[in-house]
Amino acid sequence: MGEEAKPKYIPDPNSAKAKLGKIAKEHYDNLWIAKEKGEMIGWCASNFPQEIFQTLGLTVCYPENQAAAIAARGGGGRLCEVAEGEGYSNDICAYARISIAYSQVKDIEEQNMPQPDYLLCCNNICNCMIKWYENLAKELNIPMILIDIPFNPDYKVSKEEIAYVKGQFLDAIRQLEEITGKKWSDEKFEEIMKISNRTSKAWLEATSFCKYNPSPLNGFDLMNHMAVAVCARGTVEAAEAFELLAKEYEESVKNGTSTFRAEEKHRIMFEGIACWPHLRFTATELKSRGINLVATIYADAFGFIYDDFDGLIEAYCNVPNAINLEHARDKRTAIVKNNKVEGLLVHVNRSCKLWSGFMYEMSRQIAEECNVPLSTFDGDQADPRNFSEAQYETRVQALTEIMEANKGVR
Amino acid sequence: MAALQDILQEFHRIAASPQEQMKHYLAQNKKIVVCSPVYTPEEVIHSMGLLPFGTWGTDMEIKEAKAYFPAFICSVMQSILELGIKGAFDGASAIVIPSLCDSLKCLGQNWKYAVPGIEFVPMTYPQNRNTTYGKEFTKAGYQRVIADLERITGETFEDEKLHKSIEIYNAHNQAMREFSEYAKNYSVITAADRNAVFKSAFFLEKSEHTALINQLLEALKETELADVKKIRIVTSGILADAKELLAILNDNNIQVVADDIAQESRQYRVDCPIAATALDRLAEKFATMNNCSVLYDVNKGRASYLTELVQENKADGIIYALTKFCDPEEFDYVVVKKICEEKEIPLLLIEVDRQMVNYEQVRTAVQTFSEMLG
Repeated sequence: MGEEAKPKYIPDPNSAKAKLGKIAKEHYDNLWIAKEKGEMIGWCASNFPQEIFQTLGLTVCYPENQAAAIAARGGGGRLCEVAEGEGYSNDICAYARISIAYSQVKDIEEQNMPQPDYLLCCNNICNCMIKWYENLAKELNIPMILIDIPFNPDYKVSKEEIAYVKGQFLDAIRQLEEITGKKWSDEKFEEIMKISNRTSKAWLEATSFCKYNPSPLNGFDLMNHMAVAVCARGTVEAAEAFELLAKEYEESVKNGTSTFRAEEKHRIMFEGIACWPHLRFTATELKSRGINLVATIYADAFGFIYDDFDGLIEAYCNVPNAINLEHARDKRTAIVKNNKVEGLLVHVNRSCKLWSGFMYEMSRQIAEECNVPLSTFDGDQADPRNFSEAQYETRVQALTEIMEANKGVR
Repeated sequence: MAALQDILQEFHRIAASPQEQMKHYLAQNKKIVVCSPVYTPEEVIHSMGLLPFGTWGTDMEIKEAKAYFPAFICSVMQSILELGIKGAFDGASAIVIPSLCDSLKCLGQNWKYAVPGIEFVPMTYPQNRNTTYGKEFTKAGYQRVIADLERITGETFEDEKLHKSIEIYNAHNQAMREFSEYAKNYSVITAADRNAVFKSAFFLEKSEHTALINQLLEALKETELADVKKIRIVTSGILADAKELLAILNDNNIQVVADDIAQESRQYRVDCPIAATALDRLAEKFATMNNCSVLYDVNKGRASYLTELVQENKADGIIYALTKFCDPEEFDYVVVKKICEEKEIPLLLIEVDRQMVNYEQVRTAVQTFSEMLG
């Protein structure tokens, strides 16, 4: 129709974005190379202590990352329906449905990854992980290792919890040595801990630039970069890429530039996992109103800073979904205040009972403490059927109007 | 026979009137601790001279709890919170809520703000429970409950007293298992009767309930077995206590011959063994518990356990009563379905919900199922 195809955008290969993209791509490429070489492949929960398998030199991949990628590329609904055909309820987490479906379908156009030889599960993000991995282990008849990190009803991690998790940590090493034939090295563990801390610090440093007004980044960038924070935290390449990202943001602040390609009129915290199947729509609705996402708990979720082994365990016990309402609230309140957030947009995520189950009360408390308006919308991280564009639009509009009115007053 | 019906009526009366039971105990100056599902360490509470009072919510319309829970959290949690907000537990000293599923974690957090008058006491269990470090962590969870209850109620804990309470609870477990074993062959015991016996256990001090069960067993032993052909069913799920559902089972000539219901037999399968201390005994018990959707089991033993229940009890099939939005049960269903297909065991899935008012779909499904088996 006379329209010229837009040339494909290719970022500067020396930019952080390109380097992060390369790490994410190579993560999948390396999996296939390892599989071809006959190495055992693990499927791993996003918040499983990666220091364990990095030290052992194991190759793992992340069903949560894969499910998000599949959903973002339009395959979420199709794979959810495959799982539902097997008898899985459509109320079950869509990541789990997609992953279980993929373990049966095995080849799809959106995002392939090798089938697993063993499973590494950690429930510090939810107990749903346990059920998902139990079913995979049963269906595929492969070993599963669970590091159980219970939900902490208290503000601080107790010494009893540290001892419990440490016992499992040591058992997991022994089991993995048996399964894979690889050997543990304390020296390598020390090195991996150093690299992981370096990556986490760089990730937190990069995300901290959201505090600038205007922010040098579109907050949705973080949701994309997060994949590398999950899959490559124990690698020097990831540390360097995040350090570069932080430098670029620093430059942007000096130059007054931003990856948010609009005037930043309002600054919000986006609570919850992205609606991957509707990422473009959800982001565009914000951008068109000059709303930038300048705060998300995701920054904290993959920033594991610690000094020693006990500290490492404590860090994994303190991930956002394993902590009580008061602790979770205070973490967010600090981000909202620090990043000069003007409104909260809360994703009530059908897939995530734990993240959504006390979100109403927590959000009310954050909004009250920070004196900012709050708007919620119903959605889903990966099942496209559980989202309404009209509702989202209305809720975002309402939030915008209050933020505008507040600006008139303040 | 009259005696039997009188005793059954007593179970029905208690099961249907938890609030009257609470009033009854409060009038005796008993301090009540509400026990949420699932596997709250009632023995500990009992040993401190407090009255453990169970709740699994109730069939009701949810209003106030909607301010705390989104609609896709199961109605057991929703209705427990709703009852709390509406004052159904007023007079209780505390509520103990274990965090064995994601929704239970949220119930505890919401409770603190929705029902500030009744203090929330968390019970944190390990999933890797049958290990030395797992048992230590279980004990740490109990000790946390003890410390909170000592502070809140002023009562104290003694290991020796816990031994005594454990014996009371072990005896109750035994009585409940015996009842289930007896009841399966007596067509006079309807699904509603069977449920009332189980449900009432949460609203009575356990030695009182054991005494009542023993009376029932005596009455049953004197009752002749009727030669009635019934469809023999094993039930499975979190709960199956809706009046309408139980009536539908009865209307369709169904005899529940065994159950794998969390509110029913799952409570009573494992006794506390002998161990160094009474707390060790409790931790050992939890370590060996299994075949439950909220207890980690990489072998998914619950599925084969169910098929064994069918064989042992000469059942015709399984009814899987799925509590809507209970993801642990939803995951297990697929594994149960597969093994039932392999072993050619008829399986019916029905979805239940504490807010359900229309049971016609369930009626049709059960009717078709029973016609197929009958």
